[in-house]
Amino acid sequence: MARGLDRALSILNGALGQHLARTRNPLATEMALFDAGAALPLERAALSRAHPAASARAVVLVHGLMGNERDWRFSDGSDYGQRLATDLHLTPLYVRYNSGLAIAESGAQLSQLLERLVEVYPRPLEELILVGHSMGGLVIRSACHAASLAQAGWLPLVKRAFYVATPHLGAPLERVGRVVTRVLSAIDDPYTRLIAQVAELRSDGIKDLGDGLRDARHPVPLLPQIAHYLIAGSLVEDPYLAALFGDAMVSVRSATAGALADRTLVVPGVGHTTLARHPAVYAQLRTWLAQAP
Amino acid sequence: MSSRARWRGLSRIVTEAIEHGSRAIEEVQKEGAARPFAVLEAIPALSLPASLVHGAHDAAVSGTHTAIRAVNQAVGVALDLLLRE
Repeated sequence: MARGLDRALSILNGALGQHLARTRNPLATEMALFDAGAALPLERAALSRAHPAASARAVVLVHGLMGNERDWRFSDGSDYGQRLATDLHLTPLYVRYNSGLAIAESGAQLSQLLERLVEVYPRPLEELILVGHSMGGLVIRSACHAASLAQAGWLPLVKRAFYVATPHLGAPLERVGRVVTRVLSAIDDPYTRLIAQVAELRSDGIKDLGDGLRDARHPVPLLPQIAHYLIAGSLVEDPYLAALFGDAMVSVRSATAGALADRTLVVPGVGHTTLARHPAVYAQLRTWLAQAP
Repeated sequence: MSSRARWRGLSRIVTEAIEHGSRAIEEVQKEGAARPFAVLEAIPALSLPASLVHGAHDAAVSGTHTAIRAVNQAVGVALDLLLRE
């Protein structure tokens, strides 16, 4: 029941999140760390209770559009974070946020959350590893950008960032939606305009996915001091079709843009959401993270 | 988030959806009717009665939707107060 309700609220936030936030609706999700389905207060005592053997290396997982921290779960109940805790003694921390907000807004909130996290973490942090799925990767990039402008204290702790199925160059589906909405709006008919108005209600977060973070007016570069690892899915074998359609939501080209070849993984035959909980993705994450930063 | 807060949030969303939906449908109904009325109003012999009927039609549509929105807002406020207690 609670899981279904959480899922419904995550979808509602992704679809109408900026409206919920603007109208101060209690259903709007506040960005927080989540543990066992509940918000984890950003206080030293609460973090110590949740992670009594906290490691000096923490991995922060950020979900995608309309998602929550349960998106990372394998069928056996584990997830990338838990497996990394077992295998590499990293402390997993899961972010939940209102994915309908503009990515820049979520990025700024994540930067503030990480700043506070570093202050109250039970022991001095040596490394903060960031892992984002889909929109979560863009939120991470935006947070790093905001932190670099503000010279936030947490940023030097980030040596590696992992982007799973993240549309760095935008998602074609949103661009198609944008064109369809414009065409419908332009038709001089009250019914098609009504459909366009309904389509236009989609959240700022969804609209931001159209261009990823390549908007020339607001450049959000991959910071050079961080090693960036990019993971893409491809539902088809053909390299040309894969480059275009990728995991059905994000093209391989968009998900791997800007990465060095040795920091890129393309997983064949895997769809967009499954990349958040796939053995091949975990195996590669583990291999990369087992190496020194 | 408490269960009551969730219900309050849900009631607000439903109230807002009805409010916006009613306004959008009112506009569509008026615009949809405006086209045949425009044809009739262009015929000199029918211009006056057509514009009178057009005005009455628009007033009826607006009245109906205003009533829907008023009831909706009253129900929304009542629910919000109930769920705050």
